[in-house]
Amino acid sequence: MSQTPVLDLRGIDKSFGPVRVLQQVDFTAYAGEVTALVGDNGAGKTTLVKCIGGIHSLDGGDYLFDGRPVRPSSPREAAGLGIEVVHQDLALADNLDIVQNMFLGRERRRGIVLDETAMEELARRTLAELSVRTIGSVRRKVSELSGGQRQTVAIARAVLWDSRVVVLDEPSAALGVAQTQQVLEIVRRLADQGLAVVLISHNMNDVFAVSDRVAALYLGRTVAQVRTADVTHAQVVELITAGRSESLGIRG
Amino acid sequence: MKAGPSQEDIRRHNLGTLLRYVHVRGPASRATLAESLGLNRSTIMALTADLTAAGLVREELPRSPGRRAGRPSLVVRPESTRVYVLAFDVGVDRIAVARVGLGGVVLDRRESPHEGRGPVEPAELVATLAGMARSLVRKAGRDAVCVGAALAFPGIVRRGDDVIRFGPNLRVGDVRLGEMLSRRLALGVPVAVANDANLGAIAEHERGAGVGYDDMVYLHGDVGVGGGIIVGGRLLGGQDGYGGEIGHMGVNPGGRTCSCGARGCLESEVGERTLLTLAGRADLTGMTSREAVRAIVDAADRGDVVARDALHQVGTWLGHGVANLVNIFNPGLVVFGGTLRDVYLGSAAQVRSVLATEGMAAPRERVRLRTAQLGDDTTLVGAAEFAFADVLDDPLHVLARLRDPEGEPVGS
Repeated sequence: MSQTPVLDLRGIDKSFGPVRVLQQVDFTAYAGEVTALVGDNGAGKTTLVKCIGGIHSLDGGDYLFDGRPVRPSSPREAAGLGIEVVHQDLALADNLDIVQNMFLGRERRRGIVLDETAMEELARRTLAELSVRTIGSVRRKVSELSGGQRQTVAIARAVLWDSRVVVLDEPSAALGVAQTQQVLEIVRRLADQGLAVVLISHNMNDVFAVSDRVAALYLGRTVAQVRTADVTHAQVVELITAGRSESLGIRG
Repeated sequence: MKAGPSQEDIRRHNLGTLLRYVHVRGPASRATLAESLGLNRSTIMALTADLTAAGLVREELPRSPGRRAGRPSLVVRPESTRVYVLAFDVGVDRIAVARVGLGGVVLDRRESPHEGRGPVEPAELVATLAGMARSLVRKAGRDAVCVGAALAFPGIVRRGDDVIRFGPNLRVGDVRLGEMLSRRLALGVPVAVANDANLGAIAEHERGAGVGYDDMVYLHGDVGVGGGIIVGGRLLGGQDGYGGEIGHMGVNPGGRTCSCGARGCLESEVGERTLLTLAGRADLTGMTSREAVRAIVDAADRGDVVARDALHQVGTWLGHGVANLVNIFNPGLVVFGGTLRDVYLGSAAQVRSVLATEGMAAPRERVRLRTAQLGDDTTLVGAAEFAFADVLDDPLHVLARLRDPEGEPVGS
């Protein structure tokens, strides 16, 4: 496909003092696709995500967004481009309700007061677009929600802003099966609606259930970026654990 | 041999097309309809006037003010509460009946558990269904009219006379359930009968994950495994309407004995009974198939190695099945519904690994694997769509017949 990736990182380097975490990492993500980012613990997945989301600055390499070179140096700048990251801890405020959480720090105003009606309507519509029917009132406090519902709110918050790229760091890590399945279906729907979705997961079933591409990191390097339709479970496991796969012709 | 379509034929066709448009896509302005259907505005006006007079649609001013200058174009809405069908879904362990309004709105529904694994007495089944339907009809408004009814059945149904030829999990062979039910309901509408998974395919194609895909395969798991294949936008029925029995595709020669008598069918390798056996969970047989399958996926997620192994094996066979389907039909989309949704999400790594090795590279390239968007209602929604077929084909005639069953059809 000759389509321009929404996100195209080339030769990314990142060190923390003497510790080299990412070396010459390449990573691309396309609109309408779920790209799974896989790798063992310490392979650099979370660091890469933080670089994408503007939390960490890059030491070297190119960061292209829609083919244009950019350097987001804060989450706000990344959000300005349309890049949203849903972190593992979800970063939700328990004492606030769903609407307040979704608009936290980016509240809509009408004159000098908050436009509660518009925010409530938009929150409801966004949740409906994710086909979320199980959440009840958008005025419920987040502390009253289950793990899956919180995850849903965090995802809805990320897609509220006409986002182009949504990065999900282990969205199903703490969830039961039923909720994991719902989150996977939401992830898939986001991409089908045209977003570029990046999914970090350790669970191979989750990766195979929803992804279009798999990018594997091994010891801070990209060892492969392949189409999920072309690889097997065993090959992906090999890439993660050994950084190579003979059958794919990839030698670490 | 007829000489070209008469003006009446064209009008009937246009009425059906317009009604189908608002039924499937929802309310639309006259301007949108004119553009989408390729008809001029005065024709649209005449058609909507006829449909409005028949009580099938109504015209309203748009709810939010339009951005364009000038008089806003009237919006044509289906009369969802006044025109409805009855949809019946006879699952192996659940019966669902719904009153579904024009436009696909589920207005009301009843569900009851069903013991369909043993022999089922057709008369009893019909009595239960009719009872549930009657309580729905009673609650409809007095001006509401039932324009059709259809029943989704997990068996092989002959097109033309709707005789159920084989119902491996419901032992009601060679009976005309539709006729019996129609007589019992006495609403003046026939009850069409069709294979449940075929109807699930129609539902996902028209209102679910398959919108926009003219070539797709739907796989449905209940106790058994069924399917529906959409080719070029139409359900593949085959010579007699038995087509799409994906569950009885041979995947493992010499494998497990299937309910159909053969060995190694997809159903016998990935069906609920096999999953339960492999997982060593015969204790779950009292549950509904949905609950039982979910319990095993849940156990696997918690680390139960026997459950994981069972899902691995089942996922691998499912992969063989999907690879065959992809190679033969080159679908743009494969949808997993019913219990196969849970099986797919719990064993996607196996399913797709087999597809990657056995699917041919070209047809595999762009096929998408998805879960059913209509959830547990695929077959029920499909039955409703099937029931609407007559009124969408010839709206005025069907309405006239229902409103005045004795007299000659008016306005057609």
